[in-house]
This record gives sequence, structure tokens and C-alpha cells, in this order.
Amino acid sequence: MNVYINSTGRYLPGPAISNDEIEEVLGFINGKSSRLKNKILKSNGILFRHYAINTEQQTVESNCEMAAKAAMDCIENSFIPKSKIKILSSATSQGDMVLPGFSSLLQAELDIPNLEINSSHGICSCSLMALKYAFANIKADLSENALVVASEFPSRLFKHSRYEALDNNGIDFNAEFLRWMLSDGAGALLLENQPRPNTTSLKINWIKSFSHADVYPTCMSVGAPSNHDATTWQDYPTYAEAEKAGALLLRQDVRLLDNIVSVGVNGFLKLINDGDIQISSIDHVLCHFSSHYFKGKIFEMLEQAGAYIPSDKWYTNLYERGNTGCASIFIMLDEFIKTHALKAREIILCIVPESGRFNCAYMLLTVEK
Amino acid sequence: MEQFITTTLGQKCLKALLQVWFEFDQQLSKVPVIKRLETSRLSQEDYRNLLLNLRQQVIEGSRWISRCASSFDRSYSDVRSAVIHHAHEEHQDYKMIEKDFVAAGGLLQQIEAAPRNIGSDALHGYLMYQASLPNPVQLIGAMWIIEGLGNKMSLKWAKAIKEQFNCEQTITTFLEYHGKNDASHMQELYELIDRVATTDDNVAAIIRTAKVVGRLYCLQLEEVDNG
Repeated sequence: MNVYINSTGRYLPGPAISNDEIEEVLGFINGKSSRLKNKILKSNGILFRHYAINTEQQTVESNCEMAAKAAMDCIENSFIPKSKIKILSSATSQGDMVLPGFSSLLQAELDIPNLEINSSHGICSCSLMALKYAFANIKADLSENALVVASEFPSRLFKHSRYEALDNNGIDFNAEFLRWMLSDGAGALLLENQPRPNTTSLKINWIKSFSHADVYPTCMSVGAPSNHDATTWQDYPTYAEAEKAGALLLRQDVRLLDNIVSVGVNGFLKLINDGDIQISSIDHVLCHFSSHYFKGKIFEMLEQAGAYIPSDKWYTNLYERGNTGCASIFIMLDEFIKTHALKAREIILCIVPESGRFNCAYMLLTVEK
Repeated sequence: MEQFITTTLGQKCLKALLQVWFEFDQQLSKVPVIKRLETSRLSQEDYRNLLLNLRQQVIEGSRWISRCASSFDRSYSDVRSAVIHHAHEEHQDYKMIEKDFVAAGGLLQQIEAAPRNIGSDALHGYLMYQASLPNPVQLIGAMWIIEGLGNKMSLKWAKAIKEQFNCEQTITTFLEYHGKNDASHMQELYELIDRVATTDDNVAAIIRTAKVVGRLYCLQLEEVDNG
């Protein structure tokens, strides 16, 4: 059974926020402008992003609402009514509630009856894990279609008040770093067991991933304080104490981050070796690199490995839409399809490296037409 | 970036070597002493032990490289020149290790008297045997791993060690020296790959040697804790 992406959708909340306006939205920590901001923005190359909080740092719309809007955009663009959807598989790094799973809330928001649901939890690559669940179901003839949604709302973690709640009130670089990297948004894909006429149908050849959590320490996290204490957020007597200790801040151990390039290139070479990828046949690459900084590093390493793909084949909307974590690859795919005249049999390679604890996911698509 | 590798076989070899390197890098991160180093849990005694165990490898290193040079016949005289140059540059590097060891609170007599650990024994037994074979092009694979360590790991490790200990004296001379100089060695190596990856058999031998050396190097570092 073949599996096709027959429709895509996306939702980015509010207006595009420029680099100069970020702190107006997220707030100034202790009333002061960040000294790190410009350095990090220069390195990641992001010019605009979207936030679902307002300048008072209040939530304008929930993660679930954003996910539902992207899903509706996708459904309205498809050949089936929402009531015919059989599987809802969703991904997010953090839903609006700790429990139940994100898909339960999203199903309710979308008001679709009799669904089979799956919630995928993780960071950037969990959208491809959610997608693989849907893909495998259709492939195994267990379902005829599936809606896959990925949504992120990290700006809630970046409110100035979160950093000010810390006991020592000092911010460390690792906790501030992602404040200038991540933003909000959602993307959705509709999968079916048949291609559709008069639209772009993309056949999913395969989805594969390689995790390296056994090798490297945690790189990106929420739930543990910055010191190497074994205590995590739920081990504190109260949640307030966990917050004061900084256990609820989103952190990136920047020193470990470079590993993501070798992990990503390693997986890529493995796929070439296994015959899953023929470099010369790839027409488009959609790679979720979180920062412009990594693009150069990836290119350098691929060139060195003799696995270079010319830069004009690479597409990204990172600089205009921001880094929306696991939603990025769906948002990218949606915009890519809608802005490119794709030809039948063109090959699209999607790459999603995740620095959480180093998981790298890949997907190969063929344009069916 | 400058393209050093121009032949199809050279590129095939490099692609496979990079994969061997990535796997090695991951195996290395799981070696207990390296794991402690990379997660800021290294004790000063650990660091001294590491130097103690690396010293033998560095001493023996210049020996197998010299032997390797002498095993290349006239048809590989250009390769021989490159390898001799390499051996000459590094054959007294162990003195830097001794200096760092003393600066880190160790006694010179102790490091001088330290025997090879069983991993080093296995590594050098293998390398000396390979180096004694005629035209040992496969040792480019060994150099790939060992120079790669200097180029990609040394500065990272030196930085981590400096962050962990507040020493008045410099205790990371050796690691820093290699971090700074092995980039040019890597460039020489790239040029050698194109030169020797001329048959499928050569490529297979280079890759196999790189894999064996990676495994034995890890064994050598695993043995640091067993001294």
C-alpha cells in the first residue's frame, strides 16, 4: 500500500515579529535589554517569527487552538470532510496540559468523532515520529487516511517573569540561548492511501530515524536545574521550589550542540550506504536546521564527505517564519509545496535533526502529481 | 572549502572513513573516563591517569609511523616522504605529556615507569605488524583515527579539563598543541587518501584498519580505569 501526502496546512499566530520587537513581546528580564540577543540572532539568521502571547505575556491562543487551525487549513485544502478522518497523530514538545495526551485535546478542539489517536512527545523530530505512526498505519492497510499535526508554543517559557522567578535571579547562557531561537506555530499534513488529481500528491517512500541518546548527555531540556543534580522538577517538595531552582526553564547545553552536525551527517551517509538515498537523484532538500550557523557546518561536512548537494536545491523558511521546533518541517513543507511548481517524479529529502538527546529523522518523498 | 579529494575511489574511501569516524566518536563518548571528562566529572587523578596511559601510545606512535615509512618501496616514495615528515614532527611529543603530568601533580618517575596498558599493547602490536607489511597503505586508516583525535577532540578535551580544574600551571599543553597542529596533518592526510585509494582492495583495507584502530583505541582508554 502506498501512502501519499495529499494536503498540507499551517498556522502562524499574530503578526510577524522583527528582531527589534522580540523583547516587547517576551518582556525585558529585570527591565534590562539582553546583551546576548544580537549575538545569537546574528548567528541563527532568523529575521521574523510569530508568538501566541501578547505584549503583556498573556496567552492569546493555546497550543491546541493553533494546532486545530493548522489542521483545519489542511482539511479545507483536502478532498475529504473532517468527519472521514480515521487517525489523528499529533506532536508537540509540550501541550497545554501535562496530561492527557495532546491528541485527546486536539480531537476535542477539532470536534471529530470516532478517531484513533496517537500523541508523540519529544522535541524537533517528534513530528516525524507522529508522521511515521500515521504512515505505518496506512502502509499496513490498517487505515485509509490520517491527519498529522505538529504544534509548538515555546514563547510561554520565555516570559521575562520565568527568569525573574529564579532564586539567584541570574540567567545562565544555556537558559537564555533558546529565547532568541524558538517561536510559535503549527503545521499539518493529511495522508491517504491514494493520490489525488489536480493537487500535489507526495508519495512517502520512507521515514527513518537514528537516535543517539545512549551516547551523548541531554542537550536540550525542561525539567532539570542547570547543575548536574539528579533532581528533576517533580522531585522538589513544591513546584514553586522547582521553579526557583530553575528546573522549569528551557535549556540548551550549547557545548554539546555541535554534535548534532556529525550525528545528522552520519545518518545521511548511512542512508546513502544502505541505498536509501542516491545523492544525484535528489531535487530538493528541506532540512530543519535550527540556525543559519548549522547550515554552513552541514555543507562543509557534506562537501568533505563527497556527498554535497548544491545549495540551490536546499529550501528553508527559517529566516521568515522562525524556528517552531517540531512544527517547522510541516510548516516548511506546506510553504514549499505552495510556492513551487513541482514536477512529477521529483525527489524531496526532508531532514530533521533534534538536539534534545540527539535524534535525527529523515524522510524521502516522490512527487506523484 | 577546498576540495582535496578528486577521484571517485578517493571520495568513496573518504565517505566510508567519515562513517567510521562518526561510529568511533560515539563509541569513544561511551568510554567511562571520556564520559566523565565530557560531562565535567573528571577527577584530577583521572586526568593524570589518562596522561599516564596516553604516554605509551604517543611513544609507540612515532615508532610505528617510522616503521610504516620504511615499508614503502620506491613506487611510494612520495608517500614515504609525507610519513617520515609526520613521524619526525611527533616523535618527541610524549615529553609534553610528561610535563603536563607533573604540572597536574604527578611524579615524573611514576609516568616514566608506567607500563603499557593492555589496550595499548593490543593497539601497538597490531600497528607494528601492519607497518611491517610491504607498502602498508592501509595505515592511512589508522592515521585517520589518530590524527582525527588530535584534530577534533584535543581542543574540546583541553577546554573541558581547564573548566573542571582551576590550576595555576598549564596542564593541557599536549592536547592544545595537537588541537592546533593536527589540522595541517589532516590536510596532508586528505592528500594521501587520493594518492593511495587507487583500488577497491586498498579502500577496503584502509577502512578495515581504521575500524580496528578505533576499537583498540577505545580499549586502551577503557583500560585507563583498570590501572
